[in-house]
Amino acid sequence: MRLTADNTAIVLDSTADLPNAAGRFPNWRVVPLYVNFGDESLRDGVEIDAAEFYRRLQETSVFPTTSQPTPGDFLACYRELGGYERIYSLHVSARVSGTFASAEAAAAELGDGRVRAVDTETASASIAMLALAIQRRLDHGTSDEEIDTLVERYRRERGLLFTVDTLGFLQRGGRIGKAAAFAGTLLQVKPILSIEDGEVVPVKRVRGERKALAELAAALETETRDEPGFRLGIAHAAAPERAAELEALVRDRRPQAELELVVTLGAVIGAHAGPGTLALFWFRDSG
Amino acid sequence: MSAEADLELVCSLAGAALASLEASRGRIDDLNVYPVPDGDTGTNLTLTVRAVAEGLASAEPMDRPALAHAVARAALMGARGNSGVILSQIVRGVADVLAESTDGIDTALTARALRGASDAAYRAVRRPVEGTMLSVIRELAEEAERRAAEPEPLGSFLVELVHHGEGAVARTPQQLDVLREAGVVDAGGAGLVELLRGLAGVVTGEALPAAPEAVAPLSADAIHLEPSRYRYCTVFVVEGDALVRDELEAQLERLGDSLVVVGDETALKVHVHTDDPGAALSLGTAAGTIEGVEIANMQEQQEQRERRLSLVPAADVTVKCGVVAVVAGEGNRLLFETLAEPVGTIRVVSGGQTANPSTAELIAAIDGLAAEEAIVLPNNSNVRLAAEHAAEQSEQLAEVVPTDSIPAGLAALVVYDGARSAAENAAAMTEAAAAVATGEVTRASRDVDLNGLEINSGDWLGLADGEPVAGGNDFTAVAIEVVARLLAEPRAVLTLLAGAEPPPLDGLVEQLASSHPELEVEVHDGGQPHYQLLLGAE
Repeated sequence: MRLTADNTAIVLDSTADLPNAAGRFPNWRVVPLYVNFGDESLRDGVEIDAAEFYRRLQETSVFPTTSQPTPGDFLACYRELGGYERIYSLHVSARVSGTFASAEAAAAELGDGRVRAVDTETASASIAMLALAIQRRLDHGTSDEEIDTLVERYRRERGLLFTVDTLGFLQRGGRIGKAAAFAGTLLQVKPILSIEDGEVVPVKRVRGERKALAELAAALETETRDEPGFRLGIAHAAAPERAAELEALVRDRRPQAELELVVTLGAVIGAHAGPGTLALFWFRDSG
Repeated sequence: MSAEADLELVCSLAGAALASLEASRGRIDDLNVYPVPDGDTGTNLTLTVRAVAEGLASAEPMDRPALAHAVARAALMGARGNSGVILSQIVRGVADVLAESTDGIDTALTARALRGASDAAYRAVRRPVEGTMLSVIRELAEEAERRAAEPEPLGSFLVELVHHGEGAVARTPQQLDVLREAGVVDAGGAGLVELLRGLAGVVTGEALPAAPEAVAPLSADAIHLEPSRYRYCTVFVVEGDALVRDELEAQLERLGDSLVVVGDETALKVHVHTDDPGAALSLGTAAGTIEGVEIANMQEQQEQRERRLSLVPAADVTVKCGVVAVVAGEGNRLLFETLAEPVGTIRVVSGGQTANPSTAELIAAIDGLAAEEAIVLPNNSNVRLAAEHAAEQSEQLAEVVPTDSIPAGLAALVVYDGARSAAENAAAMTEAAAAVATGEVTRASRDVDLNGLEINSGDWLGLADGEPVAGGNDFTAVAIEVVARLLAEPRAVLTLLAGAEPPPLDGLVEQLASSHPELEVEVHDGGQPHYQLLLGAE
């Protein structure tokens, strides 16, 4: 089957941090996760946007929790996309969330084989950048095989580094993974982290915010080349100034790169990474 | 059986399963370390079953296949969390088998239903893992098949299955490492047994005894996960002749939240979260006699749980290279240990400016490391020689990173990684230490003339990179002058380590905040002798 943007839809979950996805492309949808303040359960990006979330985080003593969409949420979305013959449902790493399991259960319930649920093994704008790469292929016409190959390459080659103000959020939410090795120090260190095999891993410790920013840019320089088709993304949690600094740094180091996305971490990812988080993503793709 | 009877039975089963899970929700939440330790398994299972119960509450009688389908669908649509999704598949497996039956439920049919449930659950998970809900449902199915060969009343059959399930749950730590390391049983499996316990209670007509505590009980009555505004969970029973529930409730309401007062005029059970448990108990004694008093510190429970969860992932760290550091001051020792332990291993040898450790002490420390290789941080120029001798004479491969100060040692330790070799660590740590400018403020031990500035014995003396740069009787002014020297090159982070008898640092910190708003200033109690203040700028 030849796949195009007319017959193939892309479904993201809200951890892709692209709340207006459906506005960008008519064949895109976002299924929200839930962020819970006590007994109040809100749909991420629908009932609570990033700005409101970070404001509430400052005011409340209740620590927010999150929960994955139900299979029913996905089923409703897939049904609404009844006019499409193929649906790529791209989701946050199954190592840190059951979202992918909900999507798979819904796809099985639907039972018509239209839906392909993908564990992207990554998070945030890194999911959105994979969706953009798939969309570029849909624009020219593509196949399931070509998309499978792309997804495999994306899992291997995509770059992802982030730094958090405190590891407390990752730790409290149970998503700290191997980065637990960086927790518990009395001296304040800024952790540089990544996601490997779908889970958070420690990369390096540095002192101070400035050094952390410089470290992200330095890693970009050692691990990538400046070339056409090189793509970048930046995400931040209530830290627009630092995101702007990082943007200036990476534009300077990789002038040929296309900065595809600069986004705010939404409520769900924000609840697990915490305010002040800054993330840099990259992928080489001329497709 | 009629459609009405079927619906009634399924409603009562769902209600009992829900009640049983509700009762254990907190305990199961607290067990949750796998696959994601976010403490919501009990909540997710409860919400999933609640979706089924609510769906059935509004259902009209229908034929058995339609009813089975409705139950499976309600479970799927309402499935919350990983455990909920797996449970929805278990419900689906059971429903598919029961849909095809036409008579009442007996042991043979139950065994088939459990087998269907087990198969459906395994199919739903891409990479099945033992020691989870999956192994528990499979063991339940196996036991059910074994027992169903002999005739037995359904009630006792289910009771025996619950016991077998408890055994299967108890075995999960042997099957899954993360559970064993965290000292818990599998949360999803435990929830599944609670659900079955509820079902068995409906069939036997009496509630089954509660689950055995698989972990040391963390609290008196319930484990509270939501951080409460109040510190103490307080539970007691008031006994009397003419207790007035509403009255006691109204009085208690002013003391806290999460208030529950239940019972009758002869006995009331009270549960309240409060900062003042004594006041709550006084209200009880005013109304009658109290007993069964349990007061639990909830913040402690929360911290205990977090401590346990934080222990989970660090198990697979293999330490190739350890660190021996010479450090003066208890506070500094803690700074060194908390930086090194999570990423490797460290032995701190006490010493510094005047108390130089011997070469033999350092060799013993190197050889005592649980690592093949070692980095030695002398942290003082007077210790460097002993460190070099120790590194040469030690049986282990050891390298000295020539740090001249505590702040330089800390900077080096930030980039330490126990999984790498001593050579790799030495290169990275030497570079990091070299990027630190170090200062000290101490008391002048004699009169000195500093470029025309006379400093009297007992005055404050400020040094930057070992050279005297300021003196006088105003501590803050001297420290500011040292900082100015350290910031001659652009620096982002300034670390202040207060000595054993520190002068007040507030003035210094305030001045720095206004004069250098961009500078990140971090203050710790170092506790070192001789130097009232150590400064490191990176």
